[in-house]
Amino acid sequence: MAVLSTLVYVVGALTALLAVYYTVRDLSADLVLLGASALTLVVWAVMGGALLARDLGGGSVDDPVTLYGYLLTGLVLPLAGGWAGLWERTRWGSLVIGAAAVTEMVLMMRLPQIWAGGFA
Amino acid sequence: MSARPSRGLTTLLVFVYGLFALSATARSLVQILREFDRAPVAYTLSLVAALTYIAVTLTFALRGPRSPLALALVIVELVGVIAVGTLTLADPALFPEPTVWSDFGIGYGFVPLVLPLAALAHIARSRRRASRGQDVGPTAAEGR
Repeated sequence: MAVLSTLVYVVGALTALLAVYYTVRDLSADLVLLGASALTLVVWAVMGGALLARDLGGGSVDDPVTLYGYLLTGLVLPLAGGWAGLWERTRWGSLVIGAAAVTEMVLMMRLPQIWAGGFA
Repeated sequence: MSARPSRGLTTLLVFVYGLFALSATARSLVQILREFDRAPVAYTLSLVAALTYIAVTLTFALRGPRSPLALALVIVELVGVIAVGTLTLADPALFPEPTVWSDFGIGYGFVPLVLPLAALAHIARSRRRASRGQDVGPTAAEGR
């Protein structure tokens, strides 16, 4: 699980940095930035899937509503960011992708607080 | 300029407001449904904050930053953050559980305090541009 959560941080940080670069250079989102955003989604899905497997495999979650709310939000965020990047063809669309990536990392920080057992 | 009218910075604000609308609503509903009696004032204010975020999100998305409603709602939001922030410091007993706006949004990296200020700046900028008649994008989006 440590590997997967680290991966979320790394991919999220890279996506955010890339998005800032696009914003500063006044670039709209292209396939590279959208791809980075999609990668965030994939990594999050794998991490969330691993948590789900651990829950189903006899783990006891104290607060399942919050946990799965967070996992779902983490899936929606890159989609929303990518959607904005596709339709808002200015630097601001790129910045939304960055904002989504930063939020993804914040969600990741909160997950072990919600279910410490899942990361033990 | 692309064929589709650009909204520029408004897009970012809609995203961030939408995010807060989603998280604040989810959080306050869970709190209220689960244990309302524990902190009725805090949970009610959480719900008020959530509704404000929903309203601002929709207004920015549908009516644009120059609508009178956008200005009014953002001012309500700013007053709410400052009032609740002050109240949490002045009378912590009212808040056994934190709200989105507690201590000026400290639990959310002070974004709740910065957000209405950024929105006000954006509103002012959009209005100034409109009065100069040099706006290309946002009018088209707003005229729908």
